Amino acid sequence: MINNPIIFYIASFILIGFALMSMLFKNIIYSLLCAIMVFFSASIFFYILGSEYNAIIQAAIYGLAVPIIIGLSIMFTTRKNKPYKESLLSYITIISSILFIMALIYVIMISLVMTPDSFRFMELVQFNSYDVISEFARGIFIDYVWAFELVSLLLTIIIAGFTLFSGRLKVESGKLKKNKENRTNV
Amino acid sequence: MFNIHLIIQSLNSSITIYHYLFIGLILFVIGIIGSMISKNVIKVLIAIEFMLTGININFITFASYCGNDRFDGFTIALFYVGLGAVELAVALYIFYLMFQKKESDNIETYSEL
Repeated sequence: MINNPIIFYIASFILIGFALMSMLFKNIIYSLLCAIMVFFSASIFFYILGSEYNAIIQAAIYGLAVPIIIGLSIMFTTRKNKPYKESLLSYITIISSILFIMALIYVIMISLVMTPDSFRFMELVQFNSYDVISEFARGIFIDYVWAFELVSLLLTIIIAGFTLFSGRLKVESGKLKKNKENRTNV
Repeated sequence: MFNIHLIIQSLNSSITIYHYLFIGLILFVIGIIGSMISKNVIKVLIAIEFMLTGININFITFASYCGNDRFDGFTIALFYVGLGAVELAVALYIFYLMFQKKESDNIETYSEL
């Protein structure tokens, strides 16, 4: 646990400022970029609180995976009447390259965590990955095994219901199209 | 306007549990207000993720400060991260399917499913 007020205040300033900006921007892409900053600053909080494993998971899932999903959904739900500006493409290129570099850093960090004996930096920051991973494994597979199984069961039900829901939606949209065609023919 | 001595004193003081809880609370409040105010569906989902992140900060703060010999708080925070990501993916897919019918990202058009 790092008890440094300067790091704390800088991280909290970034977190709150970008969270407010994310809510205040009208352009959804700008708010998404601010949200990425919020998620990364939250991972900084996790790191200075002494939970390195959670920090890596937060940076990987919320900092990289979730923005990709949201970005794809923005791309799929953008109307054709509103084309993107050309200047936006350069921003997107820069941000995607930054994300790619961060993903590379993440992979390198993971590989270092897996082999702490061959890398002395991990000894300097007093990060014993074997203990952390074994404690997490004990928590998930022994202490909270029922919660883990319940969550997996819930996710399975969600996926099954989801496929049914999408099938029904397709049927309903087909019916709507047919009705529209009949009305136009009449 | 700014009291420099007060700022220096606050920078020299140690960080307590209440600082982290306050940050988590602020992020949670921003998420609640954003999810109520914003009209874009994707922005509402981002606000919900902010709320989850604030909760996670609280979990990890309590786990770090209140004795965490068995990594309970960290494990539950891990569950929350996974569940939040899955919830977001499912919600976005539902939004995509509904968008194909109504072609609008305004949340008021989705009052009737």
